[in-house]
Amino acid sequence: MTLLKLENVTKRFGGLTAVNKMSFEIEQGESIAIVGPNGSGKTTLYNVISGVYFPEEGEVIFEGKNITHLPPYRRAPLGLGRTFQIPRPFSSATVRENVAVGAMFGTLSNKIGVDESLETADRYIELVGLSAHIDKEAGSLTPTEKKLMEIARALAMKPKLLLMDEALAGMHPKDIDKMVVFLKKVKEEENIAIVSMVEHIMRAVAGFAERVIVMYQGEKLIDAMTAQALSDPRVVEVYLGHPPEGTHA
Amino acid sequence: MKGKIVKYYPLIPVYIAYLILFLIGINVSGMWQLVAMLAFYCAIGQAFNIFLGMTGYVDFGYVAFMGVGTYGMALSISHLHQVQWLGMGIIIIGLLLALVMASLLSIAVGAVALRLRGAYFAIATIGVNEGFRFLIEGAKIWGGSEGIIFSGQLTQTFGRETASLLSTLWADIFLFFIACIAAFITIYYMRGKIGYALTALREDEDAAKVMGINVTKYKIIAFITSASLAGLVGASAWALKLTYVFPPQVFEIHYTVECIIIVLLGGAGTLLGPVVGGLVYGLTKYWLTVIVPGFQLLIFAPIIIVIIVAFPEGIVGVLKRRFKGTTFKKFII
Ligand SMILES: Nc1ncnc2c1ncn2[C@@H]1O[C@H](COP(=O)(O)OP(=O)(O)OP(=O)(O)O)[C@@H](O)[C@H]1O
Ligand SMILES: [Mg+2]
Repeated sequence: MTLLKLENVTKRFGGLTAVNKMSFEIEQGESIAIVGPNGSGKTTLYNVISGVYFPEEGEVIFEGKNITHLPPYRRAPLGLGRTFQIPRPFSSATVRENVAVGAMFGTLSNKIGVDESLETADRYIELVGLSAHIDKEAGSLTPTEKKLMEIARALAMKPKLLLMDEALAGMHPKDIDKMVVFLKKVKEEENIAIVSMVEHIMRAVAGFAERVIVMYQGEKLIDAMTAQALSDPRVVEVYLGHPPEGTHA
Repeated sequence: MKGKIVKYYPLIPVYIAYLILFLIGINVSGMWQLVAMLAFYCAIGQAFNIFLGMTGYVDFGYVAFMGVGTYGMALSISHLHQVQWLGMGIIIIGLLLALVMASLLSIAVGAVALRLRGAYFAIATIGVNEGFRFLIEGAKIWGGSEGIIFSGQLTQTFGRETASLLSTLWADIFLFFIACIAAFITIYYMRGKIGYALTALREDEDAAKVMGINVTKYKIIAFITSASLAGLVGASAWALKLTYVFPPQVFEIHYTVECIIIVLLGGAGTLLGPVVGGLVYGLTKYWLTVIVPGFQLLIFAPIIIVIIVAFPEGIVGVLKRRFKGTTFKKFII
């Protein structure tokens, strides 16, 4: 079943078109990587999907429902969870409280009380391996720990679609491998479609994604199965900064 | 069930502090005035903290809610004093009217201004306070710039003795009640979903939205709660105590500034903060007025600035860190 569908989505900032006529679909339970050089519009695309920005053109359809102009707080409970490229913890709150917020407000029933949310939080904190830091203020975590906490917070929302914005960047290669195994496991167990942008960490892309979408200057350049996408010569070209043939750069 | 009660333990030091203050006031002669002033600062600090401390939004027009609350009580006494059978009922109606008027004003202001972020909100609220005052004065409603004087009606209704007791004792006792209620609401909010929502939006409003939090809703709840309590404070500490209401006085912005100082000094967003802040602020101000009359502000202002810059988390914020991991921890929040 189609979980998310983007149709001709365009987002501009003044004269700059950050996302240009993007269209693609995500099936339930898929794992996708979105890659592309700096400034190619990946984060903006996430912001449009999660409702931080509304697009100037096009539509965002989630489970058949048009959510193009739905405010973010109403999208989250539908099953949209995300992490941020630059972690955005609720700094003065503890790790446990941060993750509990996800469970409390990000789930559909919205009837989950404080105590139950805290228990849910404990479970996901253990899953990402942060139990030792559970009562620490989130602001005092290391950048990597913050990213792990954000993953736990997003998972506690019981998302159907999890958008991770470079959550693995900056991690030790060994940790990346562990995270890839972990993400594959939760994806299966909780039937989440995971979209992850892993930027330059091709090791993670290859290990994790079934499908890769390559963005270049706000447009979708490639959308193919992982092996095929990564062997496409245009991928190397865009990362080296040469405009690939057939694009109007 | 036990877990539920444990959550409210931090109220114990607050209520003990108020009890001690109250006992000093009624037992030590000549102390009631000072105690009443401290109760006023604690009550208003706690009321304001529910908004300023918990959401991180600064409302420079906060005194307007105390102002309309003052009018609520004034209107009740000046209009209903002829209704004999109401008796003490007019005081209760006055408090209810203060509550309703302050919350209505806060809904009106909040629905518009709370859509603005940070500094824009702060600036808009200055306008609200001044605008409301000029509306009353200009349109000559509620006595216009003359205000309402109702000491006569109060005496007429209750007799000289009761009327005097109402304004010299009961007005202040109400402040203790309001302070206790505000403390309870604070911890009730902190321990509930709303507390989590407010913390999240205070720290990062955009991230909070993405986590599914309807930030406007929670900001408005905090705003209305805080405003209603301010209305009650106005009705007691100003209307009932002074037996008149005079617009330039009840819309005086320096009370808002005092509230902000109390909350920041004590520790924004903490339960104990406004109590500690109210006591420290009130006592210091009183003491400076005694030793350097006329120059208190000149000395007071720089001290406050230095303290707030040096301890941005406030006194209670510092204590919280200091006592982290000890048995006192669960009382200091
Ligand atoms: N709020 C904004 N206002 C103006 N321009 C913006 C804004 N957000 C992004 N942009 C611009 O849009 C373009 C796409 O940025 P975006 O952050 O989406 O890229 P990205 O692919 O996530 O890059 P990176 O790999 O560096 O994270 C960039 O040129 C960026 O400068
Ligand atoms: Mg990005």
